[in-house]
Amino acid sequence: MRTLIALTVFGGGVAQATVAPALRIGDVAPDLPLIVVVLLALRRGPELGCVAGFAAGLLQDVTGGGLIGIQALTKGLIGFAIGIVGGELRVTQPLVQVPGLAVLTLVEGLVRFALLKVFHFPVPFSDLMLYVVLPQALYNAFLGAGLVLMLAWAETFRRQSS
Amino acid sequence: MKIRRLLVLVSVLLVCLVLLTLQTRGYGASAGEAVAFITTPIQKAIAAVPRAAVGVWSVYVDWKGVRTENRRLREENRRLRVEALWVTEAADENRRLRRLLDLRNRLPVATLSGEVIAREWGGWVRSLTVNRGRGDDVKRLTAVISPDGLVGRIVEVRSGVSIVQVLTDPSSTVGAHSVRTRTPGIVEGEPRGTIRFKYMARDGAGLAIDDVIVTSGLGGVFPRGVPIGRVRAIDDRGSALFHYALLAPIVDFARVDEVLLVTGEAMPDLAAFFTLGG
Repeated sequence: MRTLIALTVFGGGVAQATVAPALRIGDVAPDLPLIVVVLLALRRGPELGCVAGFAAGLLQDVTGGGLIGIQALTKGLIGFAIGIVGGELRVTQPLVQVPGLAVLTLVEGLVRFALLKVFHFPVPFSDLMLYVVLPQALYNAFLGAGLVLMLAWAETFRRQSS
Repeated sequence: MKIRRLLVLVSVLLVCLVLLTLQTRGYGASAGEAVAFITTPIQKAIAAVPRAAVGVWSVYVDWKGVRTENRRLREENRRLRVEALWVTEAADENRRLRRLLDLRNRLPVATLSGEVIAREWGGWVRSLTVNRGRGDDVKRLTAVISPDGLVGRIVEVRSGVSIVQVLTDPSSTVGAHSVRTRTPGIVEGEPRGTIRFKYMARDGAGLAIDDVIVTSGLGGVFPRGVPIGRVRAIDDRGSALFHYALLAPIVDFARVDEVLLVTGEAMPDLAAFFTLGG
């Protein structure tokens, strides 16, 4: 199981550098590792969510060529937080999934921006929110919700067939 | 249980903070190197899958709607079309590589060709990964060009690969000037994936739509005269010190597959080697 989880996190990271550019709508690409981390954290709890977020973020930091540790930190925090509160949410409901993933992407963006500002990130907050974070939050929300529904259907099908 | 959770969280936070601190003190390269050692072979393998696969698939989907033709003819037709697609793709790749080779042979500066094996397009960072690294003697801040114009600069060199910061990266700045008016300024990347030219509004500095902006060569990172973009709109800010011009990049960063790394020390004017088209 641990190997499978490691492969999932690693696959998410590799997919972000290779598949995500092909999924662009306009100039907006989804944050696939974030979606993977949220799904893992919801199913496996805060410890695994935190470690998975750290690993996925670290991969993104390395492949993207930015400061190593920024996304590892933000995604680790997101994985931990969603693992804690995930038990309280009915995540199979689309009404929770879509806004939930959008809010998580926004929170991740805000934390990341705050961290990058410490290292003199030159981009204005409003531009970043308007052109990067908000569109990506919407994209993540619908893509992530689609994945959650697919996983739920797959599990139902597996249970019925067994 | 709660203590274990807290331990995991604190460990992750500590590792990240240590990594960030190390980088601010100049020790970050080895950490990135270790992770890149695992990710690079997979990126290279995926890049090796022929790019024509997507096109072949879409053509295949179209064929599914055709039911009137004889099955044998359809099968034969499909096979021939797939072959034709492969030939077209090969010819296209051949044409691109010829253009690159032609430019490389003509340029009066040493260059190294590279293939793009991955792209980071999230908006926070816009970068390309090319299959040339420390073993090829690539250095940080090496200029990266294509037959159309400037792509960006190398910001990180690893074993076997390098990361190219493209012009649309929000942290990217390049010294540039207008070909027509010689107005100097700076080309900056923007979060929305566009680039803009920031210049001082003096007499005679007025830019016009369709003006071509090229590298100025100041700073010694980029050779002079490499096309960057064409003016698409001008943001005239009245009496403000700086005005802005929105540029349409000359290079299509989402589609560029092969690039040249300018490895030579000399930085001659390269304007004569690019087609500016006015």
